[in-house]
Amino acid sequence: MKMMNGNEAVARGAFEAGVKVASGFPGTPSTEVMDYTQQRYPEIYCEWSTNEKVGLEVAIGASFAGYRSLAVMKTVGLHVAADALGGAAGSQINGGLVLVVGDDVGRIAGDDYNDVRHYGNMFNIPVLEPSDSQEAKDLMIRAFEISEEYSTPVILKITSVICKTTSAVAIDDNITYKVNCRQKYKVSFSKVIMTTMMMNAKGSEHPKLTKCFNDFPAHMRQLAADSNDFDINKLELNGKKIGVITAGTPYFYTKEVLPDASILKLGMVMPLPEKLIRQLAEHVEKLYVIEDGHDIMEKNIKDLGVKVIGKELFPKFPDMMRFTPDIIEEKLVPDAPKRTLMEGIPFRLPVSCAGCSHLFISQILRNHKIKAAADVTCGLIGCFPHMESYSLQKCMGSSIALAHGYNVATDHKEKFVGMIGDGGFWATGINGLMNLIFNDSQSTTIIVDNSCLAMTGGQHVASSEFGFNYKPENKLEIAKVCEAIGVKDIVTVDAYEFENLEKAILNAVKSETNSVVIVQKPCVTKFKLPKGDAYSIDQELCTQCRKCINIGCLAIESKKGTDGKVEIVINEDLCVGCGLCSTACKFDAINS
Amino acid sequence: MQDTGKNIIIAGVGGQGILLFSNLLSKYYMKLGYELKISDVIGLGQRGGGVESHFRYSTKPVLSPFIKAGDVDYLLSFEQTETLRYLHCLKEDGIVFSSTFELTTSSVNTRLEKDMPESKTELIKQSGKKTFIIDPEENKSPDFDISKMMNIVMLAIYAEFRGYSHEEMMQIVRESVPEKFVAGNLKAYEKGISIARAELTDI
Ligand SMILES: Cc1ncc(C[n+]2csc(CCOP(=O)(O)OP(=O)(O)O)c2C)c(N)n1
Ligand code: SF4
Ligand code: SF4
Ligand code: SF4
Repeated sequence: MKMMNGNEAVARGAFEAGVKVASGFPGTPSTEVMDYTQQRYPEIYCEWSTNEKVGLEVAIGASFAGYRSLAVMKTVGLHVAADALGGAAGSQINGGLVLVVGDDVGRIAGDDYNDVRHYGNMFNIPVLEPSDSQEAKDLMIRAFEISEEYSTPVILKITSVICKTTSAVAIDDNITYKVNCRQKYKVSFSKVIMTTMMMNAKGSEHPKLTKCFNDFPAHMRQLAADSNDFDINKLELNGKKIGVITAGTPYFYTKEVLPDASILKLGMVMPLPEKLIRQLAEHVEKLYVIEDGHDIMEKNIKDLGVKVIGKELFPKFPDMMRFTPDIIEEKLVPDAPKRTLMEGIPFRLPVSCAGCSHLFISQILRNHKIKAAADVTCGLIGCFPHMESYSLQKCMGSSIALAHGYNVATDHKEKFVGMIGDGGFWATGINGLMNLIFNDSQSTTIIVDNSCLAMTGGQHVASSEFGFNYKPENKLEIAKVCEAIGVKDIVTVDAYEFENLEKAILNAVKSETNSVVIVQKPCVTKFKLPKGDAYSIDQELCTQCRKCINIGCLAIESKKGTDGKVEIVINEDLCVGCGLCSTACKFDAINS
Repeated sequence: MQDTGKNIIIAGVGGQGILLFSNLLSKYYMKLGYELKISDVIGLGQRGGGVESHFRYSTKPVLSPFIKAGDVDYLLSFEQTETLRYLHCLKEDGIVFSSTFELTTSSVNTRLEKDMPESKTELIKQSGKKTFIIDPEENKSPDFDISKMMNIVMLAIYAEFRGYSHEEMMQIVRESVPEKFVAGNLKAYEKGISIARAELTDI
C-alpha cells in the first residue's frame, strides 16, 4: 500500500496502462497528474503543450498512430479543446484515448463552476469518475480498455477533492511498463476521419460511403447495455426507505451519513446502467441522486422516466458551493444538530507574493488611471476590490482581444490596454495580437514575461529556459515573435526599474500605433530570486494612509499591538527589498 | 481502550508547513496500521490564503474525505483567525490547540472589512472547549526559527498529549526533512516537548 493523492494515482494508472504519450496544459486541480507522470515514469513521453486544444490534438495523433495516449487539463481547458474533442468523438480509435479532466468542484481554486460531464452528453462519449485514489488508478486503466473496446475517447473526471485527497493505493511493484501499438492507422478516407461520413444529403447512404461510417451510437448503446454488469458500477441493496444514486466523493459522504441507505455507486457516470437504476428504484420508497457539480446524472436519469429527487433538495451552484456530508445530513437526517460558523471572522483575499512583477504594473496602471484588462494570471489579483487596477478580466489569453474590441468600439479615443502573462500569450493571446495587427488596430499590450506559468505553480512555456523537452535553440523569443507579427512599437523593460517601466507604459499608451511592452522579471517564488535588503516603516513618519498596503504586497500588514494600537508594518522575513512600497509612500516613511 | 480513530482539522495560512505536518503525522499512523484519508484544501495559488487539512485515521476504512461539522476531535491551528473559523466543527468534548500567531487578513489590511473588536485569543479560550494556546513569541529560541517551525513544535505537543513515542516521531522527522534542516527541526521538536510538559497539565 502507498499513500497517494488522486493526481499521483492517476499518473500511476497511466504507467500501468502503458501510456505512450501524455500531453496537455496546466490547470488546478489536475496539473500534478502531468508532474507525477513526468517525474516518476520517464518511459512516457510528456509535454506541456501551448494550450489544451493543441495538447488534445497531440494525444489524438498519438492514438491514431496506435498508442495509448492521454491529455490532461482542467474543465475550462476542455472548453478550449472542445473542437478537437468533437472531431475525435465518433471516430474510430486505434490506441486508447483518455482525457483526464479536473473539475474545480466547490470553486476551491476559484475558477468557473463547470462540469465536464456536459461534454459526455454533448459528444456522446463515456465519463468515468473515481471516488478515492485507489479508484483513480484503477479507473484510469479501465478508461483505456473502454476506449479501445468501444472505440471512443473517454473522459476521466477528477475533482478538486479527489486530486487533493491522499489515501492508500495497492501498488504491485512487480508491474513493469508495457507499451504496445494496438492497431495502426489505415491510409484511406475511412472511419478515423471524423463522423462526417454520415452526411445529411441524398445519396450518402451509398454503401461505399456507409461502410466508412463509424457507427458510434451503436457502440454507446452497447456500452450502456454492458455497463449493467460492470464491476465499477455497484448496487448495494440495504434498507428500503432511502435509495441513492451517486458517484465520486459524494458516494462516501452518502455512506457516512446514511449507513442504511441502498446505494447505486457509479464508476461510469455516462452512459447510465438503466437496469441497475430501475432495480434500485423498485427496491426503495424514495430515490435520491447525490452528485457534485451540475444536475447531470439527475437529468439523464429523469430522461429514462425514473423519478428521482435531486436539485429540488440539493441546490446547485451558486446556491451551493462545495458539496459536503453536512448538506446530506441537514436534508435527510431528522433532527440533525445545526452548527454555525462564528460571525464576523474576516475573509482572506489572496495576495501577491512580495516582490512580484505584477505589482509594479498594477501600481503604474492605477496611478495613471489607465484602463486595462487583465488576463488569467497571477496578476488578476489586481482586479480585486483592494487594488482595482483592472476593470476587466475574462478567460485565458483573452485580454489582448478584449482591449482591441473596446478600442474599436470607442474609435480608439480612449486607449484600453491588455495585460497578459507569457503563458497566456503563447496559449491563445498571440492570436489576439495577430488579429489586431491585420485589422489595423492601435492597441497596447503588456506582456509579463516571468518565464513560467506562475499561477499554476511555475510550469514552463515556449519562452522559458527550462522544460521537459527544453533545448536552448528551440526557445521562442517574445520580442522577436511580436516583431515578426508586425507590432510597430516594442520595448522590453525590467520590472524593478520603476521609472523606466512607468515611462515605457505611458509611451506605449500614448503611441499612435500598436505597441507592446514586455516586462521582464522571473517569478520571484518559482525561481527563488536572491533577496535584497528588507524595507521598514518609520512609525514616526507614517500617517497610516495605507497607500502602501494597497499595492498588494504580502509583506505589508496592519498589525494590532497588545495595547490595541494599530501599526502598518513590513514583515522583514517576507520582504524581498524590491522597493515598490517606497514609491507609494508620500511621507517618506518607507526606507531600506 | 484501543484508539479506533480520530478526526483532526489542521488549519493555518500558506507557508506554515501544514502539508508537511499532516505528512509526518500520516507516516506515524501508517506505522501503527491505521487507515487514513487526508484532504488538503488550498485556495488560490497565491500566498496569504487559508489552508485547511482534514485528517482522519481509523481502524475501519475512512469514508468521507471531509469531516462533518461537529465530528472534529482535535483542531490544530497555526493562526488564530483560522482557529475561529473551525471552532464550530468540534465535538462537544473536542480539543483546540492553537498558536496565537495572527496574519491580518488582506480584507482588514485594506479596510474592506473591520477586524473583530474582541481579542481572538480570548474568543478561543471562551469557546467552551478545552483549549491549549501556544504563544510563539514567548517560546522563541536561538536554536531554531519558531516562526518557520511551529509545525514541528505542534507535532511534539500533539505527540506528548496523545502519549505517542517521541523517539518514533523524531525518527519520522529525520527521514522526511532535507538533511540540512534535520538539526533545527529536532531542536524545534524538543522545544515542543518541553512546552507540552510544562503546560499540558491544564487540559
Ligand atoms: C483555459 C485555461 N487553461 C488553464 C487555466 C489555468 N491557469 C490559470 S492561470 C494559468 C497560468 C498563467 O500563466 P501566465 O499567463 O504566464 O501568467 P502568470 O501567472 O505567470 O503571471 C493557468 C495555466 C485556465 N484558467 N484556463
Ligand atoms: S507566484 Fe510569481 S507571478 Fe505569482 S504572485 Fe508570486 S511572484 Fe508573482
Ligand atoms: S504609505 Fe507611508 S504613510 Fe501611508 S501607511 Fe504606508 S508607510 Fe504609512
Ligand atoms: S520592498 Fe516593499 S513592496 Fe517590495 S517586497 Fe518589501 S515590503 Fe513588499
